[in-house]
Amino acid sequence: MKRDLAKIRNIGISAHIDSGKTTLTERILFYTKRIHAIHEVKGKDGVGATMDSMELEKERGITIASAATYCEWNDHEINIIDTPGHVDFTIEVERSLRVLDGAVLVLCSVGGVQSQSITVDQQMKRYRVPCIAFINKCDRSGANPKRVVEQLRGKLGHNAVLLQMPIGLESNFHGVVDLIEMRAVYFDGPHGEKLRYEEIPAVLLPEALRLREEMIDQASIYSDDLTEAILEEREITTAMIFTALRFGTLKRRITPVVIGSAYKNKGVQKLLDTVTSLLPCPAEVENTALNLDENEAPVILKNSPDEPIVALAFKLEDGPFGQLTYIRVYQGTIAKGTTIVNVRSGKKIKVGRLARMHADQMEDIDTIPAGYIGALFGVECASGDTFVSPGLNLAMTSMYVPAPVISLAIAPKDNKAQINMSKALSRFTKEDPTFKCHVDRETNETIIAGMGELHLDVYVERMRREYGAEVTTGNPRVAYRETITQRADFNYIHKKQTGGAGQYGRIAGYMEPTSEGDFIFENDIVGGAIPTQYIPACEKGFRQSLEKGPKLEFPITGIRVVINDGAYHAVDSSDMAFQAAARGAFRDAYLRARPVVHEPIMKVVIESPTEFQGSVMALLNQRRGMIVGAQDEGVMCIVEAQVPLAEMFGFSTVLRSATQGKAQFTMEFSLYRQVPNSIAEKIAEEIAARKKNAA
Amino acid sequence: MLKKDLILRNPLRQMGYEDDDIIPAGGFGAVLARAGVGKTALLVQFALNTMLRGKRVLHVGLHDPVNKVDLWYRELFRHLAVQYQVGQIRTLWEEILPLRFIMTFKVEGFSVPRLRERLNDLTAQGIFYPDTIIIDGLIFDDFPQSALADMKSMIEELSLRAWFTVHVHRQVQADADGIPKPLLPADDLFDVALLLVTEGNEMHIRDLKSERTPSPHPVLILDPATMLIKENVAVAS
Repeated sequence: MKRDLAKIRNIGISAHIDSGKTTLTERILFYTKRIHAIHEVKGKDGVGATMDSMELEKERGITIASAATYCEWNDHEINIIDTPGHVDFTIEVERSLRVLDGAVLVLCSVGGVQSQSITVDQQMKRYRVPCIAFINKCDRSGANPKRVVEQLRGKLGHNAVLLQMPIGLESNFHGVVDLIEMRAVYFDGPHGEKLRYEEIPAVLLPEALRLREEMIDQASIYSDDLTEAILEEREITTAMIFTALRFGTLKRRITPVVIGSAYKNKGVQKLLDTVTSLLPCPAEVENTALNLDENEAPVILKNSPDEPIVALAFKLEDGPFGQLTYIRVYQGTIAKGTTIVNVRSGKKIKVGRLARMHADQMEDIDTIPAGYIGALFGVECASGDTFVSPGLNLAMTSMYVPAPVISLAIAPKDNKAQINMSKALSRFTKEDPTFKCHVDRETNETIIAGMGELHLDVYVERMRREYGAEVTTGNPRVAYRETITQRADFNYIHKKQTGGAGQYGRIAGYMEPTSEGDFIFENDIVGGAIPTQYIPACEKGFRQSLEKGPKLEFPITGIRVVINDGAYHAVDSSDMAFQAAARGAFRDAYLRARPVVHEPIMKVVIESPTEFQGSVMALLNQRRGMIVGAQDEGVMCIVEAQVPLAEMFGFSTVLRSATQGKAQFTMEFSLYRQVPNSIAEKIAEEIAARKKNAA
Repeated sequence: MLKKDLILRNPLRQMGYEDDDIIPAGGFGAVLARAGVGKTALLVQFALNTMLRGKRVLHVGLHDPVNKVDLWYRELFRHLAVQYQVGQIRTLWEEILPLRFIMTFKVEGFSVPRLRERLNDLTAQGIFYPDTIIIDGLIFDDFPQSALADMKSMIEELSLRAWFTVHVHRQVQADADGIPKPLLPADDLFDVALLLVTEGNEMHIRDLKSERTPSPHPVLILDPATMLIKENVAVAS
C-alpha cells in the first residue's frame, strides 16, 4: 500500500449495460500485471472476466454485484470498483460512487449516451465525483465518437473536451492521436500491450490541430498561465495543459474524453495515464461529516492517517467466514486491534481481521489508512454505518437508496424451502437496501420488492442455488374492499332454546353506506328494548362481520349500522347471544344493501422526456388509469394519474420499454374506488377458483 | 326549480345569456382582472358547471402546477356542493373528475403548435376529447397577435370553446368602450369579456361586451369568502 496519498486513485467504472466496463477492467488488470491472462465476459473458455466472480454473472454475462480490486500504474496505486450497468443493480453504483474519489464513465461509441448513462451521471453529480469519459467500442460498425461527444454535451450537459481523436474507425480502428502530446499512438503485441509512438498521419493533422485548439481553449479558462501563454504566443507545454485540465476536471467543469476499444486492446493504457493525471487523489476531495453533538454541523475531515478514525461502511457481504464489511476510511487508520465505535448503534468493536479485495479474493492486511478502501471481518453493522474512534460523535451521510419499483409475491414450495427462504431473504435484505421484503397483513403473502424484474429474478435464482430454496412467484394479491351502496333494514332473531341454557337476542335496525369512516355504530334503542349492557356486544358482533364479507371475503368498510329496536330474554340473553344476533343481522341485510367491491387506486406520477408523453398517457389509459394532468417542463414532462393497483404490476418494465428507460415513476396509495362490473365478475371467478383449489 | 338543478345552471345566465355554454362553439371568452381578484376562481366555476353538465374541460395552466390547479377545483366544488346542499359529494366528484384534464406549461414553453401537439396526443390515443378549454395565465402583452389568431383558427377547427384569463395592471387605461388595453388588439376575436373589479368589499362581475355603461349595481358578484359567483342581493331586491 502506498503511503503517499497523492499517488492514490480510488475510481469507479460505471456505464449503461454492455458498454464494456468489465472488459475494460479486465484489460486494466492485465496491463497493470495484476492478472496474466485475459478472460472475456462471456468467453468461449467459460472462465469469465476476473471481476465477474459470481456464477450467475458468468452464465448471464452481466455484472450483478460491484467488485473491488487494485493495481499499480505510473507509480500510482489505483483502487477500482467495477459496477453493474443494469438499473436493477443501481444500489451497487450508488454505494460505490458514494465512497470513490473519481469515476470513468464508459460510453459505447455506437449507442452513445443511453438511459443508464443518464442515471449514473446523475449519481456522479449527486456525490460530486469528477469523471473521465471513455468512448469504447470504436472498432464496432457505426462507431461515431463525435456524435457521442455531442450527446455528452447536449444530453448530460457536460463540458466534454476531447483529449484524443481516433485513427480510423470500425474495422479500420488502429490507434489514437494524443492531442496533448501531438503524436499518434498504436497498440502492438498480441494484447496491445506495446505502445508505439509515431508522427500524426498527414491526412489527420488539420483535424488534430483544430481539436487541440478547442481543447486548449477550454482548458485555458482554468489556468492564467495557459491563457497568458496563448495570448503571448509562447510555447504551450504539456504540463500547462495537464494542470489546467486537472483543475477543471476536479471542479467538475470539464469532462476529459478519451477513446478506444477495450475488447480490441486499444486505448486502455492511455486511459490509465489520464486517470493518474487528471482524477483526484483522496487528499484533493473534500469530505464532510456531521457533528451530532452540535446539531449536525458539518465538519471537514482531514485526510490524514494520524487523525481520529472516521470511516463509512458501504457494502456488506455474507460469506463463509462471516460478514464482510467493505469500508472506506476518510480519516485516521484502522488497524488490527483498534477499537472503533458504530455511531448508529453506539457499539464498540475491536477490529479483528482486515482484508483488501481483488474481486472475490482476499489479501490480509494490517491497516487501512485514510484514503483507502478495505474490508473488515465479523463486524455486525448495516450499510451506511459510520465508524469512529471512541470519543468522536460524527456521522457521515449515507448513500441515497431509491425506492423499489416492482413487487412479487413469493411462496416456498415446501417446509424446508420455507426455512431456507427465510434465511436467504434475511441475508439478501441486509446486503441490499433496495431489496425489501414484508408479509402482507391482509393476504398473508410474503412480498419481495426490488428495482426491476431482473433484480428479483436474480435473487430468486440465488435463493435456489445458494440456499436450496425452491419458491414460486406471482403477482401480489390486491387488497380489495367491500362496501354497500344502499340502505337495508334488518330484524334478526338469534334463538337457541332447545332445553337447558339457551341463547336469545333480537336486533332490529338498518345499515347504510357512509363516507365518514370505515364503520360507524349508532345506538338508537329506546325504552330498554335491548339492555344497555348488551349494546357493546352488538357492536362487537357487527365489527366481527366486517372482517370478511359474506360473499367474497374481503374486509368491509364504509358502513353505518344503526340499531333502533330489539328484544331480550331474561335468562337466555347474553353477550354471546347478542354478538351472534348482530352477525346474523349483518349477514341478513348485507346482500340486500347491494354490496360492491372497491379496489385500491394509486396516485401514479411519471416523469418522462416530453417526446414520450403520448406513449406514457396511452400506457396509463390502457391500464384503466384516469389522467389527472400533465405538466410540461420543457424537455421533461410530469404526468399524474389515478390507476388501479391491480393494473400496476409489471408497469415499471413496460414503462422502461416504452420510454427507452428514460422515464421514472412513483406510486402511492390514493383512495378506494368501485371496480367496474366486468372486473368484479372476474374477481368473483378467481376467488371461487381459489376456494375450489383449496378444497 | 330544485336547488339541486340550480347547480347545473350557469350563473352567468342571469346576465342574459341564452345557454349555459355562454360562448358559441369556436368562440373565445375572457375574464379580466388585476392579480388576486378572482379570475381563476371564476373560470374554475365555469369549468365545474360544464363538467356537471357532462361536458369535458381541458384546463391549461401556465403558472401553477397540476396539483395546485386540482386544489382549486376541489375547493370550489366543495363550496358549490354545500351551497346547493348536494348530498354524496364524493360520489358526485368521482363522477365528474374524468371530465377534466389539467395540462400545465411553463409560460416560455407555451405556444399554439405545442398545445396542438399535446391536444393531438390526447385525442389520437382516445384519451380525452375536450369540449371547452380554459387557458389560465397567458400573458397577453407578450403573446403575438398572430399566435392568438392561430389559436382562434384551431379552436374553430376543433369546435371547442376557449376561455382565457387576462391580467390587467392597476394603471392600465381602458378604451372608450371600457375594453382594457391587454385585450384591445384582439378584441374582435372575443365573444365575451368579463371584467372583475373590486368595489369596496365587493367583487363585481361586469360584462364588457354588453354593458357599455357600467351599472353601479351589477347583477353578479363574487363572494369573497368562497369565491363563488352569486346574485347581487342589492339588485335582486
